[in-house]
Amino acid sequence: MRYLSLNHLVILLLLVSCGSYPRNNDLTETEIAAKKILNPYFSDPSKDYVYKGGITLQKKEFGGLFIVKKLGPDRHRVVFTTEMGNKILDFSFNGDRFIVNYLLEEMDKKILVNILKRDFKVLITEDFPVLRTFRKNNQEIFETENDKKKYYYLYRNGQLGKIIRTSGKKEKTEYLFSGVHDNTAKRIGISHKDIPLHINLFHINLKEIK
Amino acid sequence: MRNLIYPLFLFFLCSNAQTKMDIAEANSLKNMVKKQATATTTLSADFVQTKHLDFLSDDIITKGKLAFKAPDWVKWEYVDPFRYRILFKDGTMYVDDSGNKSQMDMGGNKLFEQLNQLIINSVKGDMFQEKEFDITYYKKGDDSEVHFEPKNKNLVKYIKAFHLIFNPEGEVIQVKMIEPSGDYTLIAFSNRTVNKTLPDAVFIP
Repeated sequence: MRYLSLNHLVILLLLVSCGSYPRNNDLTETEIAAKKILNPYFSDPSKDYVYKGGITLQKKEFGGLFIVKKLGPDRHRVVFTTEMGNKILDFSFNGDRFIVNYLLEEMDKKILVNILKRDFKVLITEDFPVLRTFRKNNQEIFETENDKKKYYYLYRNGQLGKIIRTSGKKEKTEYLFSGVHDNTAKRIGISHKDIPLHINLFHINLKEIK
Repeated sequence: MRNLIYPLFLFFLCSNAQTKMDIAEANSLKNMVKKQATATTTLSADFVQTKHLDFLSDDIITKGKLAFKAPDWVKWEYVDPFRYRILFKDGTMYVDDSGNKSQMDMGGNKLFEQLNQLIINSVKGDMFQEKEFDITYYKKGDDSEVHFEPKNKNLVKYIKAFHLIFNPEGEVIQVKMIEPSGDYTLIAFSNRTVNKTLPDAVFIP
């Protein structure tokens, strides 16, 4: 009996602590309004997306240019170089295939590569099936799932402003988009809640200086 | 029509051609450049940097100003399309990224030390170290082009070759750093001013 009680207690504790992100954030579930989540920010193959920015990992900063090009349906190239042009990383995303074309030795850590791969994949993935829809403070929130983790896409006036990656009820990573014009976000921020890794990007309009 | 195209093609080929220098020509260039480099105490110039990545539709072009003071102070100041300053001074790399300042001791990073030395040498044009590079000399119209291929295995991972173009006075007017992938960074200098007093204040981090 004592054994059973302990088991019940553990289950009870688990139920209380797990919760879910929507419940913990007072999201009101609504009817599913769209079948797919759309992220337009790196979807135009005619554009060269160039951002000035930096990756901060613990106390180390890697500043430079973040460059993204859509090379075909489901194919992107993501490159990060220093301002002086030296490559820090060069990744190819071909559907589910991921290729490291180049990586600075200092950054060649499996855990870091996997996190960057996941973060960049979130930025470039254009659509996901919608599982549930919520509403809060004039925001439409779409729930989807990737790699067994729940993601929430927050839209205001039809514009994607935030993606939240969760684990259980907890926010793990936040992807912020602002200053959107012509389907390009002027500023992008990636912030990890459980590891000291932050990425901040500012769009550069290269046409202006030609 | 074919008769017309062939000479035109040949003309185009010849006008862009670079021919290998003979030993005497190469030595003469080397001596002239070394003399220039030794006599250079300060240098300032505007630069246009072109980053070529094969997969992009357009090259990424950035512009700025370069300042050099012998023996080894170098400041690259990018002004367009963003503000960014990188100063190499006394073994330390100082960065000012739109007001966000940081610094790095290059002593702990052999690659940065090597790159900095190469930057200084390439700005001065003085890279003729046969121990470090396989060097090939070309004539290109009135200018000279010299290809430096690093021998150091660590460096080869980052840079396949440096191509430097010198004007007839032996001043470096263009540096091209080619990566193993074939992507490259090309820096073209203009408005060069040599040996005009550059106050130390220019090199304050």
